[in-house]
Amino acid sequence: MKTVTLKINGTEHTAEVSPRTLLVHLIRENFSMTGTHIGCDTSSCGACTILIDGKSAKSCTILAVQADGTEIITVEGLATAEGLHPIQEGFHLNHALHCGFCTAGVMLRAVELLEKNPNPTEEEIRWGISGNLCRCTGYNNIVKAIQWASAKMQGKELPSTEPVFV
Amino acid sequence: MTQNPKPRKKKHSLNIDAPLHVTGRTIYLDDMPELGGTLYAKVYYSPYAHASITSIDYSEARQQPGIIDIIDHSRIPGENQIGGIIPDEPLLAVDELHFIGMPILIIVSTDELNAHKASQLIKLEVEEKEVIVDVEEAYRRRSFLSAPIHFSLGDAEHAFTDCAHVFEGSASSGGQEHVYLEPQGAYAIPQQQGMKIFSSTQGPTAVQHTVAKVLGWSMNLIEVDVNRIGGGFGGKEDQASPWAAMAALAAHICQRPVKLILERGEDLQMTGKRHPYQSHYKIGLDTSGKIIAFEARYLQNGGAAADLSPAVLQRTLFHSTNSYYIPHVRISAYSCRTNLPPNTAFRGFGGPQGMYVMEAALDHAATALDIEVHDIQRKNLLYESAEFPYGQLAEACAAQHCWDEAVESYDLSGSMKKIEDYNAAHQWSKKGLSLMPICFGISFTNTMMNQARALVHVYHDGSVGISTGAVEMGQGVSSKMIQVAAGCFGLPHEHIKLESTNTTRVANTSPSAASATADLNGKALQDACSQIIHRLQDLLRDQWSLTEADELQIDNASAYVAGTDHLMSWQELVTLAFQQRVNLSAKGHYATPTIHFNKETSKGIPFAYHVYGTAITTCTVDCLRGNYELDKVQIVHDFGSSMNRAVDLGQIEGGLAQGIGWMTMEELIYNDKGQLKSGNLANYKIPDIYSVPKEVQVQYLNTPGAELAINKSKAVGEPPLMYGIGAYFAIHQAIKRFNPQAVIPYSAPMTTEKVLLALYSKRDSE
Ligand code: FES
Ligand code: FES
Repeated sequence: MKTVTLKINGTEHTAEVSPRTLLVHLIRENFSMTGTHIGCDTSSCGACTILIDGKSAKSCTILAVQADGTEIITVEGLATAEGLHPIQEGFHLNHALHCGFCTAGVMLRAVELLEKNPNPTEEEIRWGISGNLCRCTGYNNIVKAIQWASAKMQGKELPSTEPVFV
Repeated sequence: MTQNPKPRKKKHSLNIDAPLHVTGRTIYLDDMPELGGTLYAKVYYSPYAHASITSIDYSEARQQPGIIDIIDHSRIPGENQIGGIIPDEPLLAVDELHFIGMPILIIVSTDELNAHKASQLIKLEVEEKEVIVDVEEAYRRRSFLSAPIHFSLGDAEHAFTDCAHVFEGSASSGGQEHVYLEPQGAYAIPQQQGMKIFSSTQGPTAVQHTVAKVLGWSMNLIEVDVNRIGGGFGGKEDQASPWAAMAALAAHICQRPVKLILERGEDLQMTGKRHPYQSHYKIGLDTSGKIIAFEARYLQNGGAAADLSPAVLQRTLFHSTNSYYIPHVRISAYSCRTNLPPNTAFRGFGGPQGMYVMEAALDHAATALDIEVHDIQRKNLLYESAEFPYGQLAEACAAQHCWDEAVESYDLSGSMKKIEDYNAAHQWSKKGLSLMPICFGISFTNTMMNQARALVHVYHDGSVGISTGAVEMGQGVSSKMIQVAAGCFGLPHEHIKLESTNTTRVANTSPSAASATADLNGKALQDACSQIIHRLQDLLRDQWSLTEADELQIDNASAYVAGTDHLMSWQELVTLAFQQRVNLSAKGHYATPTIHFNKETSKGIPFAYHVYGTAITTCTVDCLRGNYELDKVQIVHDFGSSMNRAVDLGQIEGGLAQGIGWMTMEELIYNDKGQLKSGNLANYKIPDIYSVPKEVQVQYLNTPGAELAINKSKAVGEPPLMYGIGAYFAIHQAIKRFNPQAVIPYSAPMTTEKVLLALYSKRDSE
């Protein structure tokens, strides 16, 4: 057993884990934060994406011990006392989720994307989330949600969130 | 049934679940807090596609630390049987193994790692038998899962002799893995009486019934609760039941809570998929391009047990003529037994497979006659009162309307001109375009299943709790149910809470499937709400001494009579009703009227209504590599009067993407030993963001909507999947622009490899 200490969503946590424990299990089982999901266990789907020291990572393919001493953000840590993170608002308002199982992972990936590139083109957004699978939405609204969040974070005029028909 | 109050005018575009999803507060099955003492079950399954067990020894595995029990078929107290339509599928193998992934043992342990270690110590000895994977081989041997089904209209045999042109050929479509992002699973908890099961299922009653059968208990001892599921797409309609039954069996034997959640790899190996089909068609046209006669034989690869295959097979025939009227039709379908996992429901339920063959036949005819396929398509579209091969007449038929609107508003001729110019200017890159009309019937084709119930409580503080048989799986049915109740009571949706789907609150539910969930459950919910509203109205009429002429309204969170001082808030009204001992709870029931179907004659009115639409798909093929991109898909869709445009548009986009995946890139590969070679998400590719069209446009065709649709908002779950078939034929068109002599077998999915082969194919004679 090894002792792992890390900061999750601003709070320090310590746990005794076996060397083979995956980070996603540490988060879900030891710390009872179940917003991070497991969709494949082979780093194919991105449902388990979290931020480790600001960088997005698939927590199903990282050992808990590797995350010792890091700072982690999960979906539970996106909102602040002031309210939802713009990416959360964006996903909500643009109906960028159906079953919701992929949502946390895609949002966290998008948060990193927007931090590095606050004003991404549509192509950059697509490239940015190409490692995340969603079986429900067809992705279009996910792109819109990220564009909306980008506008909001930069104080720009917000795109309409009404469903668009021709 | 009482008269429904008018639904509220305002159209909400809300997804009631979004705030939970974006904050990570949604509770899926594996997110539930576990009870102390919870055990974990792991399934030990057959590594052979066809074999007899000669011996199985798990004594060493049983001794492993943490192993609480290893359960085989002999420990089942009830029936070792999970077949839903036909009892041909054991829960745990007895002595015969019929597919790779067939469950044999349940390993129960204190943690998943120990179970995994134990499974590797199990010694299975078998006598291997001949494996059949190929559906045509199964057909040759007359190895069927159920009786063949035949539909006919007119006199196809004679009609062919009158046809100027007759074309025959074959078309095959591959299977499709559901990849609901949340894998299958269940959590069973022994109760002081009976068993409570949390299940990731589309069919709570199917789970309840199966568990009861396996445990040998009556259904009232089994409570099934579904909070929501992380995607289903048909894969959890019947095939969620075995995992629940295994968890319950283990929980019963160990008298402790047992959780069974499949890992993705296990899920891919053990569960059934969309049925692959191998079909043969014959189509006859007159000189003007009218289709006179159509014959087809559909061979369905059903896998090793019937599961839902007979029903899926039937829907293939229902949709075999897609959106076209054909006066003479003779079609037969065979469900063939092979050594694959039992294939099952998948969005479209056999319909897409039938429609694909129809489109292949039309493409064949057009290619041979050297005319545009859309000229043939347009000429044969369904019209009002045209007869389907099953005897129902097209009503409020929007087939031509959708098509013409698409052609006009998306400027088809302009698009075609642009494509021509592009193709003339590019030697190694070609564009292709297709039109894909759809017509999809709404209702369970098993008439009995078209019923639903709902339970509504108005609590005495004025808040409302509703329960239905609908399972939320991402299709937005929760939002629609809340809209229905809010509309009936005239309350803001924040006043309404939707409860989990639970068999003790709403019994005998049909699965959330067949696109009919919102219609059936919504109408049952309206019935329940109306009963309460009527009681409240009676109370007020009495209280305010109103006459029949007074227009009493309960809306905007209040009750009032227009033009008078009579006014009461919702809260006051409910308080008054409670004081007056008015019943503030109601149970609603709904059974779709008018529908019926005679299986003997294959005639009837199986569908409450049909949904229509047309998609124009444009793609670009890289003629050096065989890669392709979908440039855009432009759709005109018959929504009726959508009650939730955001949800419905989302279903169009998501269904389209899934249809495209099935038709283009999702390839299930089995070797001749029946081994799934594309057994994880790294080699079974579902559409990522680059595989979906760069642009999707949807035109909302405002049709009157069907009375039998909830609030006239037509069902939208399955129909859009079939737009994806357009991607397949658009790619064909592009290939023909590069190589007019290309020989392209009708074989979906149209993977990059197949595209490349087709680009450089030659006719034999050359
Ligand atoms: S669960 Fe980690 S990538 Fe799928
Ligand atoms: S919303 Fe269901 S997988 Fe993305």
